[in-house]
Amino acid sequence: MPMKGRFPIRRTLEYLQKGDIVFKNRVKIMTVNYNTHGELSEGARKFVFFNIPQIQYKNQWVQVMMFKNMTPSPFLKFYLDDGEQVLVDVEGKDHKHISDHVRKILGKTEEVLQAEAQAKMQESNPANFGPRKYCLRECICEVDGQVPCPGTTALPKEMTGKYRTKMAAAQE
Amino acid sequence: MSVKHASVHAKWIIGRVIGTKMYKTAKVRVTRLVLDPYLLKYYNKRKTYFAHDALRQCTEGDIVLLKALPEARSKHVKHELAEIVHKVGRVVDPLTGMSVEGTQFVEPPTDLPLILGEDQTLSEKLQELNISTAPSGADSPPAQNPT
Repeated sequence: MPMKGRFPIRRTLEYLQKGDIVFKNRVKIMTVNYNTHGELSEGARKFVFFNIPQIQYKNQWVQVMMFKNMTPSPFLKFYLDDGEQVLVDVEGKDHKHISDHVRKILGKTEEVLQAEAQAKMQESNPANFGPRKYCLRECICEVDGQVPCPGTTALPKEMTGKYRTKMAAAQE
Repeated sequence: MSVKHASVHAKWIIGRVIGTKMYKTAKVRVTRLVLDPYLLKYYNKRKTYFAHDALRQCTEGDIVLLKALPEARSKHVKHELAEIVHKVGRVVDPLTGMSVEGTQFVEPPTDLPLILGEDQTLSEKLQELNISTAPSGADSPPAQNPT
């Protein structure tokens, strides 16, 4: 049974994860003004149809807003953290061209993304113990060859705290 | 306690003014795209914010940019008006700087520099141009019949 809609591939996780525009941390808002009719807005319409879901998926915290038929010429506007605004004219451009341009001006580069992925992998370091959500193991008692968990098997008498304090008190 | 900079997570937001009946406060509706987990499609999810508008310059229907205040002004007002991006009815095209109405420009782009003096009305200016249907050496009117 085929998927419903015009280009249902846009609604797959694989397509969304394939998006390559990851905005720099400074970008907070993205606004697209385009027209529903007219040859010049065709690229902008395709950009909104195909690329906006990918962008929003990769940049969960950027607010994306679309405005239709407000001005005769289509444009993109980005609002950065320090109050700076970036205006991109997209009249007559192809949607591939628009996304490449946006990526070049405000997207994180490949090397930055790879460095971030590396840093993330280092965090899931097997040397760390903690909650299952963040680390592989919670306690050293889970490793073979280490002292088993005192919750399940009793510790040998010499290792218990009460025996040790009794011995220390008896020696004084 | 630990967060000293802004009282909210969203530092800058854009929305549409839906109410101005409160004293120096604008009610702004902000839409964000949220992914439906089953359909995997993005839909607009709306949220209302209250923004402090000291000069009362907002009208209903404006598109405004809000900036988060360092601390909340009152229980609900945590943002202030940074700028009006698109004023309703007076939208200005950022690329040309001309006022715009939908997909049309308000003033038609003038080829000839039309300079109207203070005491001259448009009709007097037109009379000066001496337009008449009598055939003269002027170029023929462009054929504008749609074919």
